[in-house]
Amino acid sequence: MPERLDPRFDLSFSLNGAPVGMATTTATTLADLLRERRDGRGTRLACERAVCGACTVLVDDVPRASCSVFAFEVGGRNVRTVEGLSDGGDLSPVQAAFADNSAFQCGYCTAGMILLTEALLAREPDPDDATIRDWIGSNICRCTGYSLILEAVRDAARRKRETAS
Amino acid sequence: MTELPLRTIGRPDRRIDAGEKVSGRAVYTTDIDLPGMLHAKVLRSPHGHARIRSIDASAARAMPGVHAVLTRDETAAIPMPVYGYFIKDQPIVATDKVRYEGDIVAAVAAEDEGTANRALAAIRVEYEPLPAVTDIERASDPDAPELFEKPPIGIVPKYGQGASGELRPRRNVCYRFSYETGPADAFAECDHVFEDVFHFSRMHHLHLEPFVCIADWSREDRIELWSSCQNPFPVRKEIARIFGIAENRIAVRVPYIGGGFGSKNGCKTEPVALALSRLAGRPVRFCLTLEEGFLTNTQHAAILKVKTGVMADGTLVARESEILLDSGAYSDGSPLVAEKAGYRIPGPYRYRHIKTDCYCVMTNTAPAGPFRGFGGTQTSWACESQIDMIAHRLGIDPYEMRRKNLIDLGEPFVPGESGMDSDLREGLDLVVRELGYRRRDELQSDGPVKRGMGLAIGFKDGGGVNKPALARVKVSTGGDIFLQCGTAEIGQGAHTALSAVVAERLGADRSRVRYMPVDTDHTPFDQGTNASSAISVMGQAVDRAALSARRQILDFAAEKLGCPADELDLADWEIRRGNEAHALAPMIMGHFGGTGWEFVGEGFHKAKNSHAAPLEAPCVFWEIGWGGAQVAVDTETGQVTVEKLFVTGDAGRAIHPLVCRGQDEGAALMGLSQALFERMIYDGSRLVNGDALTYRVPLADDLPADFRSVTQEQGHGPGPFGAKGMGEGGMLPVASAIANAIHDAVGVRITELPLSPERVLAGLAAKNGDR
Repeated sequence: MPERLDPRFDLSFSLNGAPVGMATTTATTLADLLRERRDGRGTRLACERAVCGACTVLVDDVPRASCSVFAFEVGGRNVRTVEGLSDGGDLSPVQAAFADNSAFQCGYCTAGMILLTEALLAREPDPDDATIRDWIGSNICRCTGYSLILEAVRDAARRKRETAS
Repeated sequence: MTELPLRTIGRPDRRIDAGEKVSGRAVYTTDIDLPGMLHAKVLRSPHGHARIRSIDASAARAMPGVHAVLTRDETAAIPMPVYGYFIKDQPIVATDKVRYEGDIVAAVAAEDEGTANRALAAIRVEYEPLPAVTDIERASDPDAPELFEKPPIGIVPKYGQGASGELRPRRNVCYRFSYETGPADAFAECDHVFEDVFHFSRMHHLHLEPFVCIADWSREDRIELWSSCQNPFPVRKEIARIFGIAENRIAVRVPYIGGGFGSKNGCKTEPVALALSRLAGRPVRFCLTLEEGFLTNTQHAAILKVKTGVMADGTLVARESEILLDSGAYSDGSPLVAEKAGYRIPGPYRYRHIKTDCYCVMTNTAPAGPFRGFGGTQTSWACESQIDMIAHRLGIDPYEMRRKNLIDLGEPFVPGESGMDSDLREGLDLVVRELGYRRRDELQSDGPVKRGMGLAIGFKDGGGVNKPALARVKVSTGGDIFLQCGTAEIGQGAHTALSAVVAERLGADRSRVRYMPVDTDHTPFDQGTNASSAISVMGQAVDRAALSARRQILDFAAEKLGCPADELDLADWEIRRGNEAHALAPMIMGHFGGTGWEFVGEGFHKAKNSHAAPLEAPCVFWEIGWGGAQVAVDTETGQVTVEKLFVTGDAGRAIHPLVCRGQDEGAALMGLSQALFERMIYDGSRLVNGDALTYRVPLADDLPADFRSVTQEQGHGPGPFGAKGMGEGGMLPVASAIANAIHDAVGVRITELPLSPERVLAGLAAKNGDR
């Protein structure tokens, strides 16, 4: 085995509401840490430069590009990934809105877009179109032309408000 | 069949991949790992053009954790270590020369990517730099540096009436395609002849899932390959040829693909990964970075010289074109793109004479290949710009000019071709209405911001040339349906649409259909997921397979019930006869005993060969993208704002309306972005913006304030239920519609992409200077 250049340490944080503890290295990114778990591959890597947003996860409810967050940065914090959204197999309102509006094609950006939407709607339950464009404008979707995604976000906001009321 | 209301076709039900994709459970090639899997990385050339004097990889080979190193020393033992579509000119790793910055020189398989990268850094390569050629207009000069001193192996396919191809017709040109029909002296009868030159930019596909494969050749007589590729059967064939292995020893599997837009046709990562896996005796994962994607495949930059003869009333008579495509350092799909660009340059109009020569010019830049539109984007840019230019020169409205010359529904594009299967005027009039084109005079103002509108009709022959497709539909005793066919799900929604066709024919809910994994060991042969062919070509094979299974089920039931099959119908896995319903499962179990049974329907489709057709088979369908734009041009800054963008395609019959809409809108945004800003920028042989941060792609906030699409269903398609292909048409008209709108707004004609503020200002200055 090659010599490890990066020291190992024990990391614990909350992943989708459950405490996790594992040995990792100082050079490991959050994305790599998540993807090493068999149930963590919904977090997808594309540009690996914090530009495209495909790997977006929520760290203490803030969207972060997990390709550019070191694993050690999330020690003691709450991390939410796409795997944590479905409640016992039922899609979340945001996931359901993306599914029903065909707001995806190849699906590679989808987890990131959905988590971005979760974060947006947690802050602004009824965002106007400019706000939605501004938020969705931070991630790249190369397939859809965005309109169907914007419609899914509006639809998700409606569904969440209806569920809440 | 009795005409019943359709239960699946045309309904916007959730796509069959929706659940997996929104929950993160969808499996892509990037998600696969195998026990003992190694990771590959490659060393790339820092020179645009250089001879390799020596390679010393001894230090890399000795590093702990390194299991295989691949250089020209190792590939020398491979039977045919080169690949390409028509021309086998791309080596697995460089042998005598490197031909672009990024050309692969060596590869390493190691325990992890970090170790592989450290090993690459220890490889010493001595280069003798050579002058590079990057200008496609000068590449054939006698003193231009030559990429290939010796001709690589290549073929010219058989062409039909009026078409021809040639390998290496001149220096640094790997292929020429030519087409001619009608008398050349038609120009002599024209009132006017206009010659214009158009420049087309170059984009990278920027699919989010990188180029990636997992190759397992740890057993000598068996290759297993998981690849993010659009055409597993041609890849299997290429691998068999390269390594001298029988095709039945090679399994190519294609999970979900995270986007491709053309780039994932043909071998990319596979030969390197397989060679390393054989050397290491372990599975190898080879995943490129997004930056390496820019160095692997691109669109074709182009120069299009278009000469058009017209009568004073605007009637088109003759068109001659010369097209230079920047093919980069290796031929890849360039000859095929040349064929299509050369064929499509007339656009959807009637002429008496057409003549085209299209050249694939080799340069010391990344290899260009298939890109959404496949030559049609380049030709639509030139053709639809020039139609407007000619209309203005003749004092005719561009809309009227188009209407006058469009091919009629059913009229062949050229002699020997299939007839036009969309009413082109109907689509154009739809754009005019949706855009408010007739009221565009109301946009005029005295301020510094001027507004205008432009129209365009993108055009391509769809469905590919000579594509065969095979499909199999199996139905189990319990009515579970298995669909086996080779169309990859690359985002376009093909698995949903093809499953819907099967469900409809078998009277089943779509949820009863499972689209089986694409695996060349089990899936019937298919030429590839490209050319908007899924519903138009594979759809016909799938439809026949489903109808065959249906026929077998009805025949079986007819025999059991002792009545003619035509009295029976099939719904929800019951045989319906008048008011009677007979459950099929007990009927099958009764006949076959406890073992059960599977009905197996096979389906096949291939366009008939015809030497009268220029490309040897009449086109499957015509893919038309009508578009219109309204722009605001700031005459002080040159800034162009697209305020309205409207595109419309003809799905023939929309199997799934939201999928059709997504295809047109996604394609249109790619067109918008190419029109306004997106492009690869080269400084000589060096790509200066080959990364996600500096290569600008469109984001949600780039959408025009009014961005809409309409999916027409004109009903003339060759596919199931009258469907036509989708996916490329929406991109084709956008750049020219915007250029035409800019001209309408400020009278400046830009013939080079992108339509940047600098070009607008230069145009305004030239125009004002002329006064």
